[in-house]
Amino acid sequence: MDFVLMQLSGFGGAFMDLVLDPLTYAYLIISVFLGITFGALPGLTATLAVTILTGFFGNKIPLDYSLIALLGAYVGAIYGGSYPSILLNIPGTAASAATAMDGYPLAKAGRGGEALGLTTTASFIGTLIGTIALLVFVWLLLLLSQNIASPEKALLALFGILLSGTLMSEDLVIKGWISGLIGLAMAMVGLDPLLSEPRYTFGWSYMLSGFQVVPVLMGAFAVPQIIEGMRHMEMGKVVQLKGRILPNLKSVRRYLPTITRSGVIGTGVGALPGVGEDVAGWVSYGVGKTVSKEGNKFGKGSLEGLLSSETANNACIGGALIPLLVLGIPGSPPAAALMGAFKINNIIPGPTIDPAIILRVVAIMVLASLTMFIMGLFTARIFIKILAIPQVVFLPIVMVLTTIGSFSVGGGINDLYLMLGVGFVAYFMNLMKYPIAPLVIGVILGGLFDETFRRSLLISGGDLAVFASRPIAAILLALNLALIAAQVPVVKRAFGRLRGRKV
Amino acid sequence: MDSKQDDQTATLRARDFWGALVLIGLSLFFLWRTMDIPLWGGNRAGVSAAAWYNSAAIVPLGIFAGLLVLSIVLLVISVRSGGARAALSAVGIGWNGDEAWRFVTLAIILFFYVAGLVPRVDFILCSGLLITALTYGYHRGHRSRMSIAAAAVALCGAYALLRHLPQAQWAAHDDDWLTLLIWLALSGVALTHSRRDRFLKILPVISVLAPLLLVCAMAFGFRQNVPNRGGLLFKQIEYHYFVTIRPIWRT
Repeated sequence: MDFVLMQLSGFGGAFMDLVLDPLTYAYLIISVFLGITFGALPGLTATLAVTILTGFFGNKIPLDYSLIALLGAYVGAIYGGSYPSILLNIPGTAASAATAMDGYPLAKAGRGGEALGLTTTASFIGTLIGTIALLVFVWLLLLLSQNIASPEKALLALFGILLSGTLMSEDLVIKGWISGLIGLAMAMVGLDPLLSEPRYTFGWSYMLSGFQVVPVLMGAFAVPQIIEGMRHMEMGKVVQLKGRILPNLKSVRRYLPTITRSGVIGTGVGALPGVGEDVAGWVSYGVGKTVSKEGNKFGKGSLEGLLSSETANNACIGGALIPLLVLGIPGSPPAAALMGAFKINNIIPGPTIDPAIILRVVAIMVLASLTMFIMGLFTARIFIKILAIPQVVFLPIVMVLTTIGSFSVGGGINDLYLMLGVGFVAYFMNLMKYPIAPLVIGVILGGLFDETFRRSLLISGGDLAVFASRPIAAILLALNLALIAAQVPVVKRAFGRLRGRKV
Repeated sequence: MDSKQDDQTATLRARDFWGALVLIGLSLFFLWRTMDIPLWGGNRAGVSAAAWYNSAAIVPLGIFAGLLVLSIVLLVISVRSGGARAALSAVGIGWNGDEAWRFVTLAIILFFYVAGLVPRVDFILCSGLLITALTYGYHRGHRSRMSIAAAAVALCGAYALLRHLPQAQWAAHDDDWLTLLIWLALSGVALTHSRRDRFLKILPVISVLAPLLLVCAMAFGFRQNVPNRGGLLFKQIEYHYFVTIRPIWRT
């Protein structure tokens, strides 16, 4: 009980600090608006919104305010993806892909207003569920993570890369791992963290400081999207919005069990390292279809189906921040961009993070979701107008934003070359169905992995048993090995045979 | 539906064949480069370096060895699925002429913008040209428009790059004037097509306002470095900001 009261009082203090600062509202309104706009425009994603704002706000304003801008955009963009899904049948973001299955049939049936209103409410409640989980679990995990030393950190970083590679691969799992290894390899460039030995610098002084996070983020997430999006697309006709958007309390109460269940699922999926909002949306949609009484109506215009995915993708945000803040491992691709912002502000998320930052993040999340809720209900018609803008008008401006954002972070023109190089590589990787998120996570966690892996060996005098001699390390090692073994054909076949025998 | 899926898988496996070969080559190259980093306790300036387990080479060795193994596995998967056989066929390449042209023109535009224009030409001018070229060139998907857009950016970029290659010459303004001229000409061409494309009507406004606002916000709002501060337009803006406008509230 004391723990809960202490948490609540800490959160109350951080919340009041935010509420009483007039600048909070300026950053919040602009960033949530930008976020919803990015989410609403097909071709622009939540990851892109956070990435671009990282370049723009990351180190230009105090971290307190840049966190408002980045989290506001993150919350807004995930929600904004529902607009084109419902009204155009085109998911604005990958996270809203499941939303289109039921949202569009509802809008065509003249229930677009009701669908948007309930989606907005569900996204708001979902974000709050994720945020509450963040407030509670982040502290419990922080207590546990006090026992985490170098071997566990190295294994956790590896686990994050392997897991995101496994779960984010659309084609072969091996491609996700290759992507993660390429990211790790990129992190090896520059002076090594223990002995300051130059690695792969090819005599170029710029490379001594290694690859900077922001240009890599911009290159990996923005440039491929610009290249892919610069094509003629016939804009579908926006379904006319009928009915009032403001939901009535009765229907909210009716769907509250679905919203709560999806919120919990979204938070849980988000807490897995490297797994994004799209996976959360689909998992929750799948569970909803199985357990719901109207499961047979899913895909044909079911409000439960719509709320299952929309609640989960917003709840995923809070979940994704748990591993980021506790372990320094991003829970989703936008969280990876957020980690970039922490990094350029010299803040190392993990067991040593300042608890005040966590409380501020939670307070910002609550305010951002409230702003999103109000904007969604009362300014929805503005965002619907935005849907008519083709991406070939918007993406060139994104390219200019990306360029100036990358340039101003510090490395100048060289950072732009890096951004473009990474961008073209990432475009071809996308083309060959290599997931990009593991690459970015590899770049971000590579330094940590290198340092903690070697420090563990240094402490043990080169004895590899150090990675199995402590309980948490042994568990993590087993998880890593299981993750790899699960993809080996012989093991797969053996498990298949075992399962067959049981049946 | 199934045959479409099969075609996609066949294309992917053929591309995987090339991808695996490139990855094997890169892994081997970087494994060779890693040998330059002392692994077995080298001697630096009379000081004995670390043991193998603390060497700066140990983690990269693991990474590139892992990459090599995974690339070989990918190659095997690709060959077994017929990727090697389809690698040089149309299925293997998987791009049609239009898509290839779209990518090539985009690559030209982005390369000359980043490598040629941004360091040497006023940011507002070169970004205005970029926005005009991209929107005009790709809005309708016409090959001819893509070619005109790419040629416009390539002309300015190549001129700036070749004429003012060393950093000492980046402040020159002849490339700024050329970019301005080409930008105006391209905007004129875009406007002639604006009767059918209503977005092209507002294109000149967007292409001026977007970079202008961005560069001013970054330079004067966030007080950050922006590309080419001595550019034709930005130099004037900066001068008038500090000499004419700022004193209004400073005094």
